[in-house]
Amino acid sequence: MISRRKVMLGTAAALAAPQLMRVASAQDAPYIVGTLFPMAGPNAEYGEIFMAGATLGVDYVTKSKVLKRPIELRSVDSLSTPQGGAVGMSRLVNVDRADYVLLAFTGVCKAAAPIGGRAKTIMCNPGSVAPDLSGLSPYFWNMIPLVTKELDPLLTWMMSKSLKRVSAIYVDDPFGNGVMTALKPALAKAGGQMISTYPITPTEQVFTALAAKIRAENPDAVYFLSAGAQQVELVKQLRNNGITQQLVSAVGVNIPSILNLPEAKGLVFTDQATNWNSTDPLMKTFVENYRAKYNKDPMPYHLNFFNAIVLFGILASTLEKQGKPVNGDNLREQLLAQRKFALAGGTGEFDDVCDISLPVAVDEVTGDGKFKQIG
Amino acid sequence: MLLVQLIVSGLQTGLLYAVTAAGFAMIFGATRIFHVAHGAVFALAGYVFLSAYTAGFGWTGGALAATVIAVAFGAGMERFVYRPIQRHEASFFTVFVASFGVSIIIQSLIEMIFGRGFVTLTTPLAQARPMFGGIYIAPMFWIVLVVTLVVFAVLWAFLRFTRTGIGLRALSESPELLRAYGLSAQRLSALVFAIGSVLCVPAAILKMAITGMQPSVNSHVMLISLASTIVGGVGSITGAALGGLLLGIAENVSITLLDSQWSEAASFIVLFAFILLRPRGLFGYAVTR
Repeated sequence: MISRRKVMLGTAAALAAPQLMRVASAQDAPYIVGTLFPMAGPNAEYGEIFMAGATLGVDYVTKSKVLKRPIELRSVDSLSTPQGGAVGMSRLVNVDRADYVLLAFTGVCKAAAPIGGRAKTIMCNPGSVAPDLSGLSPYFWNMIPLVTKELDPLLTWMMSKSLKRVSAIYVDDPFGNGVMTALKPALAKAGGQMISTYPITPTEQVFTALAAKIRAENPDAVYFLSAGAQQVELVKQLRNNGITQQLVSAVGVNIPSILNLPEAKGLVFTDQATNWNSTDPLMKTFVENYRAKYNKDPMPYHLNFFNAIVLFGILASTLEKQGKPVNGDNLREQLLAQRKFALAGGTGEFDDVCDISLPVAVDEVTGDGKFKQIG
Repeated sequence: MLLVQLIVSGLQTGLLYAVTAAGFAMIFGATRIFHVAHGAVFALAGYVFLSAYTAGFGWTGGALAATVIAVAFGAGMERFVYRPIQRHEASFFTVFVASFGVSIIIQSLIEMIFGRGFVTLTTPLAQARPMFGGIYIAPMFWIVLVVTLVVFAVLWAFLRFTRTGIGLRALSESPELLRAYGLSAQRLSALVFAIGSVLCVPAAILKMAITGMQPSVNSHVMLISLASTIVGGVGSITGAALGGLLLGIAENVSITLLDSQWSEAASFIVLFAFILLRPRGLFGYAVTR
């Protein structure tokens, strides 16, 4: 006989079941790591590199079993534009419910930061170095040394080589403008002189006229800042049009297209210091895994994106052990509580605005697809 | 001296624009089809050339391979994309979207096959050396000049003196009349796409050696081709060629007057000036309604 109590219990169980199942499935549901990279267009080469690094990171964290829940990557094409960044970030936080987002490109970061900030989602930038990315949002972390930290070693090297009169070519976007704002006073302080500056649009492809003007000015060095395919065209056309002076740039040139370009031989740039032959176990694992998968040496960008996932693994694992939910507020709180992290390649230390400090090197393109550290 | 240098650089850029734009203008002039995928032919020709060249087929083998692919693509577009659309609907917008779609597919295919990075052909011919009065000129400049002149001479002779060439010129005016003279409008239409596409080949090869290329080059090529066609006068191949030349020189010389980031915009300033002041372009003809 069915009693009223049984009916009540059955009804309660039926009502509670979906809720309990949802809780249980949330506990098993993967952590969603969103990626907001350029996957098409002139900067797509970066997207491939970033994704390769992030994928290796996910593989590593998954195999090391430090987390109770798996990690899943959800990719959105940022198109490397602010519009793409805003649309992509909205999708990642509102549709995919990302727990952590990897992104790069200054315009993309600036457009995505308020959206991620409102959703209290951690945004980690392991790829862009513009100085104004610092303190963009409480939930925005810079996992790569910003260019302000790269300028000192570069300018020291330039002054030691008497490269004092500098012409600068920079892409007229938030990245280029941000770096130039920092470069001009830093160069003057180091004893150099900025003799001319040439802003270019991100889509410009013909630089023969620019080369002619710079050649007439005869600087000691040409500093340029661009991204992707454009900087390759720039280097090729400068060299082919009689610019024999020292070319200098920042971390963005460390991509295969530049390293394999014969005209780029001798180009000097700053980057974070890396040693692929390091005996540090994490670095060794990263390099071995990369070589096994791609049959070549990794690049610093690969390392940064790998480390960004490793960092998430460390923080999320600590929160899991503390019984705290893995959300933006707790991740940030844990990052600022811990500050120093043993990452592949060395210890990374975050400051109050969540910008990382890592050793910076001055590198030179050797012309055989590689580069060597010169300072 | 700087101005002379900039004019020389502008000539080189402009000649490449001219030959590419002439192909687009020829197709548009004869068929009134807005062939957005013209930029994709350019990219395809460049990448095929580079693959054949690096595979050891040399400049000639590479150029031949690029020509075959360009002809096949151009004629294929006419036969399998535009002709079926025109048979059913033939609205300008449908044709435009179809062409744009194919262009994106080609870009994605190139990215998939050749990678998303920048590719280039390194040759000493592209390295400029000081010549008369300190003007830097690369051997490639003379090659561009000669190739462009030869291409235009052959094209002019073909259109002027051959029965097929005259038929092509008549295609846009009266396809029905062509039939009366025993010529097939469909066959001529396919031919104009093939020839227009072939015109991309020398420009693509030379660009590969001078500046290099990336899969998304098609959009820039298309914009320049369109701007040159409007500046030159819609329907005029000579006009498009001169328009391309003018835009190339404007892009380079503008740096003496404007900030460097305006050099690309200079082309479009010229375009707007023509649209406002001389909408029929250099060699177009006025139409009254």
